[in-house]
Amino acid sequence: MKIIVAIKQVPERDTPVRIDSGGKWIEETDLQWTMNESDAYALEEALQLKEKDGGEVVVVSAGPERVGSTIREALAKGADRAIHIECNDFAQRDALSVARLLAEAIKPESPDLVLTGLQSDDLGYGQTGVILAELLELPHVSLILHVEKTGTLLHVKRELEEGWFQNIELPLPAVLTIQSGGNKLRYATLMGIKRAKTKEVRRVTPADLGVPASAVAILEHIAQPQKQKSTQILPGPAKDAAAALVEKLKFEVRVL
Amino acid sequence: MSGVWIVLEHREGRIGRISWEALTAGQQLAAQLGLTAHSVILGAQTEALAAEVSAKAGGKLTSVEHALLATYTADGFSRALEQLFHAESPDYVVFPHTYQVRDYAPALAAKLGQVLIGDVTGFGEGPVFTRQILQGRLNGTYRHTGGGPCFLSVQSGAFRAEAVEPSTPEIASFTPTLEPAQIRTQPGAPFRESAQTVDLGSASMIVSVGRGIKEADNLPLVQDLASALGAEIAASRPICDNGWLPMERQVGSSGQTVSPKLYVAVGISGAIQHLVGMKGSQCIVAINKDPDAPIFEVADYGIVGDLFEVVPALTEAIKAAKQ
Amino acid sequence: MILLPATLAEPQSFSLWEKLLLAGLVIASVALFWRRFGVVLDVILRSKKDADFRLFPIGKRVRDFLWEVMLQAKVIRQRPLPGLAHALVFWGFCAFALVTLNHVAVGLGIGFLDPLGLMGRFYFDLAALFALGCAVGILGLFVRRFFVRPRWLGEKISYESGFIALLIFLLMVTYLAAFFVADASPTASFLWWAHTLALLVFLPIIPYTKHLHLVLSPATVFLSRGGFSHIPPLSGDEDFGLVTGKDLTRLVSLQAYSCVECGRCTEHCPAANTGKLLNPKEIILGLRRYLNEFGPASDEPLLGKHLAQEAVFECTSCGACEFQCPVGIEHLPILIGLRRGAVNTGTWEDDHGGKLFLALERGSNALGMSAIERDKFIQKQELPIFDGTQEYCLWLGCMGGYDPKGREIIADFARVMDYLGASYGVLRKEKCTGDPVRRLGNDLVFQQLAEANLEALAQNKVKKIVSICPHCVRTIQEDWKEYGTPPEIEHHSEFLARHLSQLPTAIDQEKIAYHDPCYLGRYRDIYDQPREVADHAGELVEAPHARERSLCCGAGGGLAFLGEEQGQRVSHVRARELAGTGATTVSTACPFCNSMFRDAFASDGAGAPQLLDIAQLTARSLPESKPESAV
Repeated sequence: MKIIVAIKQVPERDTPVRIDSGGKWIEETDLQWTMNESDAYALEEALQLKEKDGGEVVVVSAGPERVGSTIREALAKGADRAIHIECNDFAQRDALSVARLLAEAIKPESPDLVLTGLQSDDLGYGQTGVILAELLELPHVSLILHVEKTGTLLHVKRELEEGWFQNIELPLPAVLTIQSGGNKLRYATLMGIKRAKTKEVRRVTPADLGVPASAVAILEHIAQPQKQKSTQILPGPAKDAAAALVEKLKFEVRVL
Repeated sequence: MSGVWIVLEHREGRIGRISWEALTAGQQLAAQLGLTAHSVILGAQTEALAAEVSAKAGGKLTSVEHALLATYTADGFSRALEQLFHAESPDYVVFPHTYQVRDYAPALAAKLGQVLIGDVTGFGEGPVFTRQILQGRLNGTYRHTGGGPCFLSVQSGAFRAEAVEPSTPEIASFTPTLEPAQIRTQPGAPFRESAQTVDLGSASMIVSVGRGIKEADNLPLVQDLASALGAEIAASRPICDNGWLPMERQVGSSGQTVSPKLYVAVGISGAIQHLVGMKGSQCIVAINKDPDAPIFEVADYGIVGDLFEVVPALTEAIKAAKQ
Repeated sequence: MILLPATLAEPQSFSLWEKLLLAGLVIASVALFWRRFGVVLDVILRSKKDADFRLFPIGKRVRDFLWEVMLQAKVIRQRPLPGLAHALVFWGFCAFALVTLNHVAVGLGIGFLDPLGLMGRFYFDLAALFALGCAVGILGLFVRRFFVRPRWLGEKISYESGFIALLIFLLMVTYLAAFFVADASPTASFLWWAHTLALLVFLPIIPYTKHLHLVLSPATVFLSRGGFSHIPPLSGDEDFGLVTGKDLTRLVSLQAYSCVECGRCTEHCPAANTGKLLNPKEIILGLRRYLNEFGPASDEPLLGKHLAQEAVFECTSCGACEFQCPVGIEHLPILIGLRRGAVNTGTWEDDHGGKLFLALERGSNALGMSAIERDKFIQKQELPIFDGTQEYCLWLGCMGGYDPKGREIIADFARVMDYLGASYGVLRKEKCTGDPVRRLGNDLVFQQLAEANLEALAQNKVKKIVSICPHCVRTIQEDWKEYGTPPEIEHHSEFLARHLSQLPTAIDQEKIAYHDPCYLGRYRDIYDQPREVADHAGELVEAPHARERSLCCGAGGGLAFLGEEQGQRVSHVRARELAGTGATTVSTACPFCNSMFRDAFASDGAGAPQLLDIAQLTARSLPESKPESAV
């Protein structure tokens, strides 16, 4: 089975961010970059499927030069080769435009399965995988925690809201977007990194793929949210404090 | 026809709360833009739902009915709505931002050459739409350009369901053309995981107890709170070390890592070994008599007081609120 | 100089048959010796070369050799009575070298020391004194092994050791007895032959038993890597640590065959003493068994038949084993080498370990906390940011930056620095030094962390670092060297001790027990400075295990981040010992020790002593400068 995993490089979780002078994006100069978390789970799922059934895992990632380090990480963890779509115009692209890039890069590979993370940790659109399926004219299911393959059929476990799940069957080829936490991620190893050096990374440009930058939805500017998380101490005697807390749980946390 | 179209979602024959919130958002957007708000429901049989919706929604209520829409599939829903919106050319389409919408709305938008502006928390003049980026650390403002409908989904809780402007809609129905072969996925019935021994990792609420409880005999106090909430009970390491609760209920670096919606820390001071196990919780409530306890650093809500007074009071208040 | 009234009796003449018999026996004995020793030597020499081995500077090697081998200082210091007994035997052997040579030469008719000549008489008399010491020593060791039976010598009685002891005793007795018989008497002949036979039986036994250390350990001590717990750099693209026999270097093989099975390593091992699988002696003997079975060129994994992965990952890297070893075995490079082999190739699977590695692959600290939390702490505490103008860069570390208790230590140390008027600042961006991943054998993540930190320090032009964490200090100063030149660094105990005269003394003279952190004591040789600080704040009391023999808190080697331990918790054992001193305060100089004991004292409930870092002890007696207390 040939599996393509679309991965994105994102700023390291929880690193302090500053808004750039244009007010449209964050200062990228001193950011640390890492593989998007749910994409890491997608890669893990692909590697486990390959370990079970054999085949090939190809990672595809779009972005500037720096994306190379995340591609190498994926190769180090066990992907067989990679396609790097070199583009510096992410700011001028929306999810549809990025999905078009990926779709054009993936089409000639005619994969059996395309996996990607549910959502990116930076922009958080959560759409790329679903649009990709639409563009590749393949069936898809999102929010997948577990994948099993029998013949040309996939059996997947999808997460629903409030602790519910659903099993879905769909034919191959297909696109799945993977939810974090379904598997245990493997750690990168020195041996993997050294072996990765000899693996193929094919570079293509948006021009090669014939997908110019375009956006229907434009990110106009970004700003700090009004409210920062801080501890609210609920004062008063036990009874009053308890009543105040119940109010919060009911209307702000909405767990009651 | 144009206007703002709100797609409502139902489960077990009822329209969900978040769909009413989407209706509010759609109505407010329509009011701001001087447009009419219309609503849409999908299913195989929608009379009962239509009746529920018509008590609240205005404009036109379209029932998209087809046998192949009996259970949700991305193929069925996106194709049906594609046909409807082709016919109706809406200006805006508003969805609740649910797992189901996330599964098909991006494909639907792509069919029409559009993208969904997802998880919107508000909108302003223009209109521009606000959504969170970088996991809520920043807000981004988006504008829709070009022709064709603008697709939005609104975040749960961002608009008030109670703010729906009730009026009587005109009822219409729409029958899409769908073939069984077009539905490529076979969904099974939703299920819950059979209750495992203890899986704190997937618990949505946890009440955790620490050394402040003093003696094993006092544990029922906390157990009562947990059962009032419907929460799992957990503990910091000293409690499990003493054998007051089994080791599998230990939260922390040598125990389990949890990320529930609500984590109530009772009598836990907040050693690092404990913090690393529960810092991913969405809402942390701390009850401790020491105002300097480090647990308050990470808590969203704190009560400084004697847990032997606060916990019973809280249990009572929760029971009362649930009735 | 004549020491004894009598002279050594020697047989006057040997017949040709006797000479031939002697020659034959000597040849047989040497051949038997070589039959085994040749194999051992071959295994050692066929092992991989140590890429980073440098003979020079040789001065330290000579000093260590004189101190540890010739003077037997380490053996005596760590186990005085048996150590002295062993030294007597060793010195006896040294003195005997010439005697033995002459002894055989006499048999062949070419004796070179005349028992009646001045030189001969002097030397034989001197050797007799050593022989007496040796006989007493070996008798003592015999009594200890067969009657006292300390448990670290193993449960099985070693008859082989008994036999060897008998031979040595016989050698000495036959030598000494020859002073009391007349030359040319049959008794003299009998003693001579008895001595010869004992000698010729003893020689081939050496390479087949742990007595191989007689031959190898002087070389092992002389050739050791030097530097405590020195983790050698990986060499080449195919070196991932100790994976198979092919990865065993000459030093490792030499050390494996040098082990004398004395069990000092196991006696002092916190893991072995709390019911874990790890037994450092068995690690070394396991390696030896591996080499005997598979040889140094084998592709057979090291972790398997002779060495258990579980045991290797139970090591806290406290270094007590390596510190104690009298024959120069370096346990930590071996244990960590085995971990490197397992982790660098991805064969170690552990939920907690995997989580730690991912946290440091993807984030900045070992605790997996958000880096924003560190920023918030810096802001709340109003810690100055390092801008290149200050003298010190105050390194927070993961514990100082994120752990509530560690933050209290930082806050108090900052107060002391402020009081002293020291100029310091903290880095905006600081990553984990990589200590836990280094000790767990993850070279990839360690390299990433070391390089990122070295770059940040260079960018900020940091010249001097002070840290509250001995693990940070060690890792920055020693382990980062593989990837660049770290700035000068000191532990806060050194800083505090240096400024003690400018700090107010405590009025309250409570009893304070000080716990030596492994990474400050054995790893950095700092014992006195933190004691001075503690003594300044109260009355210092010593725990039964102190200084070089301190017992680990259980956190090192990355174990603070792994799951539940087998057997007793190391931290609880040590905490109980510290509480047992009767001190009202237990003081540490390491935030990891602090957090381990905090947990241990917490489950002991009320009555547990107060737990404070030495910085907190110092800060206690400062005048309140700010109205609100820190943190």
